[in-house]
Amino acid sequence: MSLSTALRTGDLAELPSRRDEDWRWTDLRGLIRKIPPAYVYEGTGLAPEIMVEGQAGQIDFYRSPFNANRTVRVSNGMVAGLGLKEPGPLVFDRHDPVIALDVTNAGGGFSVHNRLTVRVPHGLSAVLLESHAGNGDHVVSFDLDIDLEEGASLERIVLVSDHAEAIVVRQSSVTLAATASYAQTVLTTGARRQRLETRIAHPGAQASVRLDGAYLLEAQRHADLTTVVTHGGVDGTTAQLTKGVVRDQARGVFQGRIVVERGADRTDARMRHQALILSEKAEIDAKPELLIFADDVQCAHGNTVGALDEDAIFYAMQRGLPSDRARAMLTAAFVGEVIDRIEHEGARAVALAWAQQQLGEL
Amino acid sequence: MAAVKETVDQVGELEAYKHGFVTDIEQDFAPKGLSADTVRFISAKKGEPEWMLQWRLEAYERWLALEEPDWAKVNFPKIDYQDSYYYAAPKDPASGPLSLDEVDPEILATYAKLGIPLREQEVLAGVVGAPKYAVDAVFDSVSVVTTFKKELAAVGVIFCSMSEAIREHPELVRKYLGSVVPVSDNYFACLNSAVFSDGSFVYVPPGVKCPMELSTYFRINAAESGQFERTLIIVDKGAQVSYLEGCTAPMRDINQLHAAVVELVAMDDATIKYSTVQNWYPGDPVTGKGGIYNFVTKRADCRGDRSKVSWTQVETGSAITWKYPSCVLRGEGSVGEFYSIAITNGRQQADTGTKMIHLGANTRSRIISKGISAGKSSNTYRGLVSAHPKAKGARNFTQCDSLLIGKECAAHTVPYIEARNGQAVFEHEATTTRLSEDQLFYAMQRGLGQEEAVQLLVNGFVKEVLQELPMEFAVEAQKLVAISLEGSVG
Repeated sequence: MSLSTALRTGDLAELPSRRDEDWRWTDLRGLIRKIPPAYVYEGTGLAPEIMVEGQAGQIDFYRSPFNANRTVRVSNGMVAGLGLKEPGPLVFDRHDPVIALDVTNAGGGFSVHNRLTVRVPHGLSAVLLESHAGNGDHVVSFDLDIDLEEGASLERIVLVSDHAEAIVVRQSSVTLAATASYAQTVLTTGARRQRLETRIAHPGAQASVRLDGAYLLEAQRHADLTTVVTHGGVDGTTAQLTKGVVRDQARGVFQGRIVVERGADRTDARMRHQALILSEKAEIDAKPELLIFADDVQCAHGNTVGALDEDAIFYAMQRGLPSDRARAMLTAAFVGEVIDRIEHEGARAVALAWAQQQLGEL
Repeated sequence: MAAVKETVDQVGELEAYKHGFVTDIEQDFAPKGLSADTVRFISAKKGEPEWMLQWRLEAYERWLALEEPDWAKVNFPKIDYQDSYYYAAPKDPASGPLSLDEVDPEILATYAKLGIPLREQEVLAGVVGAPKYAVDAVFDSVSVVTTFKKELAAVGVIFCSMSEAIREHPELVRKYLGSVVPVSDNYFACLNSAVFSDGSFVYVPPGVKCPMELSTYFRINAAESGQFERTLIIVDKGAQVSYLEGCTAPMRDINQLHAAVVELVAMDDATIKYSTVQNWYPGDPVTGKGGIYNFVTKRADCRGDRSKVSWTQVETGSAITWKYPSCVLRGEGSVGEFYSIAITNGRQQADTGTKMIHLGANTRSRIISKGISAGKSSNTYRGLVSAHPKAKGARNFTQCDSLLIGKECAAHTVPYIEARNGQAVFEHEATTTRLSEDQLFYAMQRGLGQEEAVQLLVNGFVKEVLQELPMEFAVEAQKLVAISLEGSVG
């Protein structure tokens, strides 16, 4: 049961619905009445090359926020630079371990599905700068498999600016070999319905994970940040922080699950989700789960949902700030905690600017 | 330290499950299996009016159309609903509760063995000023006796068995039965609505503070039978009641189903304190054979403004526990509380927690859950906290901690938080750890044996919840905690 299967088979019954426990707050079956046709490129020549920014009018709206020597572009489901039909794995290389992945979807009324694989070789420290943007009522399914070899480390920063009418499911599946480490920060503004799902497996020992995210939602947007971390090896660590800011009639969803399998001793896993509701009709749904099958562990989760602290606003106003400014400042500081945890300096600056712009609009 | 010493002594004296005996008396059974005729049989046995029978039959029809749920983190072979007795009662009790003199002495002996005072003078015989509590004793499908009824009636409190309430107070029963847990609320509640046998009925009139603790003691005795109790407690404006519930069953190799429904209604300014010490037979600790399936629907409707319902539960028994005592916080400023200790050992499985549904403005709730898993057991906290658009100023605080003892047990925490209101504040925190080696070492260094040290630490872990229990239950519960964990270390 998944959006990608539904897109492939055209079978509406394959769409997850609110009756599926993992999709209770992100219903697709009730929303998608008809599967839109897959996107067809009707031009000539090497389609992906044509789609490169600046050369095709239809994606001019988008300017990638990140700069990197190596950029892979995916436009309306077509991948540039990796072979057209079946892109091979995107492998990081020792000389320039930073890759930008720009995914854009232009126009509406179609569906696209992509599956990409990323590999970080043994012992290498790499950075993946990922951005997603769209400007129409399309249906997008995007799968990313990330494979970290022994001792490898990857920091992944994902900025998502989908269209208000888009329906999007992005699933990444990360496998960590022993002593590998993975850090992820996902920032999103939501869509009509949007699910950003990360599944992480630690079969090896001493793997470490930082898993962060923030959703900044307005109007009738929806965002669902779902994570599943499975500790299979010993001495693993997971530190997770997700923050949300919702206003108008927006709806933020956080589902975090940490599983510690039998024998995964000395696991240390901590999960935190905090959300601010800035308007009467906005909604937050959260389900932070711990499933523990080993006894020698330290696991904790915390969850808070509420409005901005009136005392803090009062304090700021007392110091001469107008109420709007005080609220903006407190909200920015609230989200800032997630961005501060980004290690890559350049990416942190980009993410900060991106978040400030979104919060300004909020 | 005295308490610990006492606990340890208690453990030394007792078998793991001291309530596992069977009372050998003649019993009446409904024919095995479930059909509309079974429902009619039960209703006829209880001499119920036609409206009650129709209500049951309607529930039975709806139950047939429902599917058995399977979302809980518990595993058990499919229940054969035709392979069980739905009604079992001590032979030939005249319909309705009897005076104590007429009760089968074997049954009285059973309750004496369980330590439940059915003779009012026994309760009074203790220390001067000792708290009194009235008991409704339910043996399989019928209530055998209810004590202190006269004294309670003097202040207007109605405390009787459900069967008696249907006969004597039909207007109250018709008005409230199924108003908190609708007939087709869920599979097991629907089954209960069709075949419920006995349970307690409490009505506390406006402004009355119930002069004593009320309690019901449920005992499953018959083999291959299910117990389907139904309890309804209505506390009118400004009134208060504290109600205790205890349960035990014999040790048997075959699983028995206990599917109860408990409904609480609290009007303006009313307070209900509902405490449970659940100690059904947990099954064989090694093979996992036998034990009770405890699938219970408990819900409180805080209808009135400023009403308050507090659930306290100590769950130590049952092969499988699947229950979520809940509060619907409808009245403005109403308060819901849930304090829980769930202990699983051997091969027990528990999926328990609460639901706090904030509908009214300025409603508050507090959840303190302590789960302890040992042996090869599995213990899940599952809870929902939701705030609806009108619940401005709603507040919740949730803390659920799990303790793991041993390599093969499992502890899960599955909270659901749904905030549909910009002025609701929800806080939730949870931890899962094992017993601290350092603390154990420290306690043992001071001369405690390992078992004693574990009990000391566990008692400290659950203290916050034990404090919420009425005094006499707290002592009992503390002992129970110790017994439940017997053999879990070393």
